[in-house]
Amino acid sequence: MTLLPKRANGGPTAPGVHPRRLWSVRPASDREAGDAVVSNLLLHWFPAKVDKGSLAWTYSFWLGTIAGALFGLLILSGLPLMFLYVPSVERAYQSVKDIEYVVTFGWWLRAVHRIGAHLMVVAVALHLARVFFTGAYKNGVGDGQRREWNWVIGVSMLLLTLFLSFTGYLLPWDQLAFWAVTVGTNIASSVPLVGPRIRELLIGGRAIEQATLIRFYVLHIIVLPGALGGLVAYHMWRIRKDGGLARADRASVLEQARETNPVPSKTYTLLGVASGTSPLVRTLSLEAPDTTVNAVPDLTRRALIVVLGTFAVISILASVIGSPLEEPANALVTPNPAKAPWYFLWLQEIVTDTTLTIGSFTINGAFLGGAILPGVLVGLLTFWPWMDRSPRSETGVWFPRSRRAQNLVFIALTFVIIAFTVVGLLMRGPYWHFYWPWETWPGIPGRI
Amino acid sequence: MSDPNDPHRNDRRDFLCKIGTGAGLVAIAAQAGASLRSLVPNLTYDAPTTVKLGPPEEFPDGLKFLPDERVFVFRAGRTFHAISAVCTHLGCTVRAEALPRPEDTTVEGLPLRLTHRFLCPCHGSKYSGDGTNVAGPAPKPLAWYRLSVSPDDGQLIVNLADEVDHRFRLTVA
Repeated sequence: MTLLPKRANGGPTAPGVHPRRLWSVRPASDREAGDAVVSNLLLHWFPAKVDKGSLAWTYSFWLGTIAGALFGLLILSGLPLMFLYVPSVERAYQSVKDIEYVVTFGWWLRAVHRIGAHLMVVAVALHLARVFFTGAYKNGVGDGQRREWNWVIGVSMLLLTLFLSFTGYLLPWDQLAFWAVTVGTNIASSVPLVGPRIRELLIGGRAIEQATLIRFYVLHIIVLPGALGGLVAYHMWRIRKDGGLARADRASVLEQARETNPVPSKTYTLLGVASGTSPLVRTLSLEAPDTTVNAVPDLTRRALIVVLGTFAVISILASVIGSPLEEPANALVTPNPAKAPWYFLWLQEIVTDTTLTIGSFTINGAFLGGAILPGVLVGLLTFWPWMDRSPRSETGVWFPRSRRAQNLVFIALTFVIIAFTVVGLLMRGPYWHFYWPWETWPGIPGRI
Repeated sequence: MSDPNDPHRNDRRDFLCKIGTGAGLVAIAAQAGASLRSLVPNLTYDAPTTVKLGPPEEFPDGLKFLPDERVFVFRAGRTFHAISAVCTHLGCTVRAEALPRPEDTTVEGLPLRLTHRFLCPCHGSKYSGDGTNVAGPAPKPLAWYRLSVSPDDGQLIVNLADEVDHRFRLTVA
């Protein structure tokens, strides 16, 4: 394992020169643990020391890590699919059918990609809810914290995740895909003045055709994952700049400054520590040794468990849950009922219910429910950190009394969205009529 | 004259630096703009809007759905009219459902026999037989299109770019 020559006593030849090829899974000293972070490209985004409370399973539920793991898995499973899928309206459907039924393990790759995408929407949404409930978008005690901006980045990443799902949805070029895109782009088209122009730009013309497929394909495989990858990197960098998870702010505030030995892995440059002297450091902060642990192995071990666990769950689910494929896209026949994917069903419900008529003036529900209402929700989410008035000391705290009202509103809105989703999923039959789940749908009359 | 020792003085060096930076930014913006402009279609190969539908005598009395044009053509003896099948809410194709009994009404002062109603499978909009939106999220009635007879071979022609009001009827001799 040794790459570099060692000195007689087994230590490294010089500071910053690290003899291990990878890193020690079980570092014997703080020095070795710190070295692991410094000497490894992948570990370099971790700090050497992390706050103990931030690692707790029940603080963050590791939802961000799960979302990140799913994003990685989607890139991995998307790569072989890119070799197999043909983005042409004549051949897309057949190539997906071949992936499903002809290619060895193609069905599994497609299922991993599909289930991973569904669960990524879930993980990202839950992560957002966690950050909201813990007030983790708030700045605590650190200097130069900009957690509100990381929250805004997070909201953008949620939107990118949804848009990635939507663009991926079109690619099989089946009935579901075609009509989801018809409805989705007509929502864009309902915006006054610029709407039709936006739709034309989205679908590359006035009809959903080859130009549309290739646009959505390029967005799906390059533009959106690239943007999301960039934002992920920025998100992680901001967490480091903000002093770790918001939970760390709480742990870091000691009752009183106290004197402690200098942390051996840190360089107190200006103190000019010389051998034989041992200055005491007064600290109020998380460098206090008993509130932190080494990132290697305490953080890396947990992160590995979460990532591998996510992969395992998806792989197992993909082996038992098949991926549906509807009839080939047919511009002539709209399926009855035509349902959006589950995470957009609440929007489908809303655009159904929001056409308003005031006198002789009618506002299309497509605009009100499809553009204005989601726009208001996203706007509220985006600017919430600037509207929150709870005290700084309650940064990184689950459900404090000072945020009870806003948490209740958040829960209520979430409940409404879930209720609309359930109605759309289980209680809408032919012609979008309401049926109880136990009612059987009437036979769908012929096309004419 | 400004003080030559003023650190905020705009001297020639500053000026050239700003010009250079500005020119660089303009060049990048122009090239990015050109690249993005290429994605705005200058030409779309749309389906033709004026379509021959066949000889009028081949249309049945009542309704015929033409999926390619997404249009319903109605015939009552010698008179024809055409109603769009594109839902005005979000563009799904509506389906026609025959009424148990045809209804005779007047639409905009002209008599019209309603034989069907239209239902949208996407969000549940409902239209009466003349295309008027009666329920659901549809914000306006289904479009009526101009029908004509081709002067060369007598076929029925629909013009999907020419919306007409609900009084329109084509009478074929």
